[in-house]
Amino acid sequence: MTQYTKVVPGVPHGEIEAKPLVTDPDDPFAPVALRSARRPKRSDLVSQGPLEKAYLFWIVGASCDGCTIAVAGATHPPVEDLLNGRVPGLPRIEIVHTVLSVESGPEWTENLRLAAEGKLDAPYLIAWEGSVMDETVSGEHGYWMGLGEDPADGRQITSLEWLDRMAPGAAAVLAIGTCACWGGIPAAHGNPTNAMGVMDHLGKDYRSALGLPVINVPGCSPIGDNITETAAAALLFLNGLAPLPEFDELGRPAWLFTETVHRHCPRAGYYEEGVFAHSYGDKECLVELGCWGPVVQCNIAERGIVDGHGGCMNMGGICIGCTMPGFPDKFSPFYERPPGALLSTNANRVMGGFIRRLRRLSQTDKMRSARWDGDRDLPSGWGRYKTQPVGAERLVHRLYSRRQHSREGG
Amino acid sequence: MCFKNLPITFDSDGRARLAEGVADPYAVAVAEPKDFVRSAQARSSAGALAAPPRLREWSIDPVTRVAGALAVHTVLDLETRTAVEAHSMAMLFRGYEIILKGRDPRDAIDISSRACGVCGGVHSTVSSLAMEMAFGIVSPPLGTCVRNLGEVAEMFYDHPLHLGLLAGPDYSTAIVSVTNPELVERAAKTPAPHADVHGFRTVKDIMDGFNPLEGAIYLESLEYTRIARTMCTLMYGKYPHPSTLVPGGVSTTVSTSTFNEYYANLGKIFDYAKRLAGIWDDICDFFLEADPRYSDVGLRPSNLIQTGIWDDPAVYDATYANIDAWGQARYSAPGIVKDGELVTTKLTEINMGIEEFVEHSYYEDWTAGWNGSGANPNGSNGNGNGAGRGGPRFAADALGNPLSPYHAWNKETIPRPEGKNFKEKYSWATAPRWDRISMETGVYGRMWTTAMARQLPDNPYIEATGDGLRILLPAHDLPETELEWKIPAKLNAFERNRGRAYGVGFTAAIGMICLMQAFEYWRKGETRVSTPFKVPTDERVAMGAWEAGRGYLTHHLHMDKGKLLNYQINTPSTWNASPRDPFGNPGPYEEAIVGTPLLESVADDDIKGIDILRSIRSFDPCMPCTTHMDTGRGVITREVNSCGCTLE
Ligand code: SF4
Ligand code: SF4
Repeated sequence: MTQYTKVVPGVPHGEIEAKPLVTDPDDPFAPVALRSARRPKRSDLVSQGPLEKAYLFWIVGASCDGCTIAVAGATHPPVEDLLNGRVPGLPRIEIVHTVLSVESGPEWTENLRLAAEGKLDAPYLIAWEGSVMDETVSGEHGYWMGLGEDPADGRQITSLEWLDRMAPGAAAVLAIGTCACWGGIPAAHGNPTNAMGVMDHLGKDYRSALGLPVINVPGCSPIGDNITETAAAALLFLNGLAPLPEFDELGRPAWLFTETVHRHCPRAGYYEEGVFAHSYGDKECLVELGCWGPVVQCNIAERGIVDGHGGCMNMGGICIGCTMPGFPDKFSPFYERPPGALLSTNANRVMGGFIRRLRRLSQTDKMRSARWDGDRDLPSGWGRYKTQPVGAERLVHRLYSRRQHSREGG
Repeated sequence: MCFKNLPITFDSDGRARLAEGVADPYAVAVAEPKDFVRSAQARSSAGALAAPPRLREWSIDPVTRVAGALAVHTVLDLETRTAVEAHSMAMLFRGYEIILKGRDPRDAIDISSRACGVCGGVHSTVSSLAMEMAFGIVSPPLGTCVRNLGEVAEMFYDHPLHLGLLAGPDYSTAIVSVTNPELVERAAKTPAPHADVHGFRTVKDIMDGFNPLEGAIYLESLEYTRIARTMCTLMYGKYPHPSTLVPGGVSTTVSTSTFNEYYANLGKIFDYAKRLAGIWDDICDFFLEADPRYSDVGLRPSNLIQTGIWDDPAVYDATYANIDAWGQARYSAPGIVKDGELVTTKLTEINMGIEEFVEHSYYEDWTAGWNGSGANPNGSNGNGNGAGRGGPRFAADALGNPLSPYHAWNKETIPRPEGKNFKEKYSWATAPRWDRISMETGVYGRMWTTAMARQLPDNPYIEATGDGLRILLPAHDLPETELEWKIPAKLNAFERNRGRAYGVGFTAAIGMICLMQAFEYWRKGETRVSTPFKVPTDERVAMGAWEAGRGYLTHHLHMDKGKLLNYQINTPSTWNASPRDPFGNPGPYEEAIVGTPLLESVADDDIKGIDILRSIRSFDPCMPCTTHMDTGRGVITREVNSCGCTLE
């Protein structure tokens, strides 16, 4: 494990008396680890299982806070339900998070110290957001990611030191977002910090206190519900209410990240018929504008980004592969057609173009009620459609219909 | 004459030039950083104070309920019950601009977006604006409307998130009953003046609403951030980190539903804005009346910098030549406020006065190796792109306005992580200054410039009165309501929060204007949202300027042969969180904390420092994008570092 020898030269530590640490469990400024025991228990009809509460340390490495924002937007379940123990059968989550915690500074870091020293009154999980930056290249006293001072000597502690100290005792380590899973943008070509994912840092042999390797929920930023659902699924399992969630070879929730986003894309029909967008804003398949959806594992097309709304291709954005370990360098330059798409789009232009015409033909029949078939005219005042098929078209419809009905009765 | 410290004068045609006869116009005379602890001690030993200071050191690392990694070191004087010292520290480095170097400029849209997931859409937009200027294209009107509406919705998520979840708990019963129990008692007996609007009978009911995780206002604000995001995603696709912003407009597939769904939600925001204004009026007035010294909490001079936001689609043409005109046509005006007075609304003048210093930041001064810092032997506009230069790349912008060697287009930051040392380096944030003055930026700042500029086009919803804004919000469940926001006499923690609350109404009114405009273009059949382009292969220099939730945002780029040579991001919280500058002057957080009274009614040892935290949080700090800086030198190695350390 990395040795940390950072000190704070120039700061007259101890020259001035420090503000005393708040430790009264009834004081809202005290560490939540001390306050937690005083929070009222909720009665719950569903058997609680072994876990009544669990701590969640959400630690931020080299991140943009986008994953925090993403999780705050989750609706199934929403974070406040997890934090208030409002989901039946789930333990209440006591959160230690710089954006949400009540306590600040030394009281905040005291929670981390208690966890690292195994002094909490309940199991804890770590959710790590952002890449892990290599603090061995930040110099003897420098740091890329500072998080807390050591009250004993004023030494700057880094986020990474906390991860190293807390990971062995954690019930599970969740890497939240592409930076934390695989390195993401801070690890892109040219970066000076040797940034990497949590897995890369902790290594292949890492196992949590419950024997789990790192769980990865990628996305830049991830869909909020992918985060809360994964956490809830794991907790439901721990409380004996649900089966063990399935994780794939990369530690991703398998049910969320197996399918390509293309398979569920609302524009996939255009792709199949060989119709492609050529200007930004067009409604057709975006592949020629640079969409990587056909090879990217992501569920945004069906889940949306917040409460079922939005989504990249859903609204007109190309997929840049933000959930993938190869992101961003293996998908850039963005906004250029992926080379592999040349073959598939042209094949689909030929085949899809043919099929599309046949479908259109069939559609002109299905657009008329049986009653209208006999009439000369269509009773619509809008009158946009050619009313009656003639000649060959009519013949095709007849044959099609005969074929269709010949199957009646099996 | 807007410049006092930089030697820039204007000729009779209003063209800016460097004052004649100044040998080194941008010379920096480095001064000892202000050491407020020592001055407090000196004052008392000189007998100026009744009693010597009794000091307590407080290292708030991390400061919570802010976005990103912020630490503040402060020293409290228990004798006078004030904060006497403050150092603001950005704790994280990520290096986005290094990653951008040498890339296809279009990649900057998605990569720069990851500078900040809290201001989740605005970086992509600013990046697109910069590229439009560089490529010589402009978004069609409906594309501009879509961008406007996306960013309007972003504010509906941004401000409630701060007011409800981050700042709100500081005014909650849970907190105040520990720091000032007498105020809770008083609040229980004080009827809330806006009870009919927000439904909370007494001020204590409001304070209950702010209780973390459980209070009604806390939980409701989470709900509203989600409504706002669904509005955002109609325009942006994904949030944070939009997927539909492109140079020349947007790639949003706009349909009739896009605007209809947006409209359906806007009504809810109208009501929420009315309620937020009432809630924060009642809370702020309650504290300020209970103890007028609260007006000194987080107080600093009214110096503000704003880049303006929400373009008029009919005026915006993306050219640098017309940047002043389309900047001034924005629904929220760009501007510089000095000591409460508006000194300019021209983006060229704002741009001209910007410098970034790294004296107290973990970077090397990029001008250190030059032959001269100001008088530039080799650099002239648009000529340079190499290392080993004798001077700045750009001595002037494309219009001939002088630029400092410390300007973004000349900047080349070289990260050097080292131990923190308040006399030397202590933050990953740089120190941006305008006319060498430390400037703050925020929601209230853009309302301030808009109110004073009085350049708003005729519209039924917002009137700029010169000393405030009148905002007319249509009826939803609550009746049609006129909100009136007044420019505050003192810029303190309470007025920042109040301004932010009114900012929701301000933004909602602009949303209404932009939506009506979008319907109008839609009706006229002007439904194009993007302009085709080719990435140019010759040298281009450009900037994008818009505003994030917290104000000021610029991206400056320099490209050649279709690749980025330099890409610089300057963000609101870099301004607000900046450390001391080479002249020894503190950044805005530091200024605001020093002198803040500790108004808790408890014994010395029980002081929680809540008024310090209120001061910091009132800025709505957002650190992720503060710490993204650039370098020209590639991977930092242990060797390089150890020699950096020996320099200490
Ligand atoms: S837009 Fe992308 S994901 Fe959707 S069909 Fe086309 S290629 Fe597939
Ligand atoms: S569709 Fe692509 S870009 Fe969009 S969220 Fe999924 S992986 Fe990321």
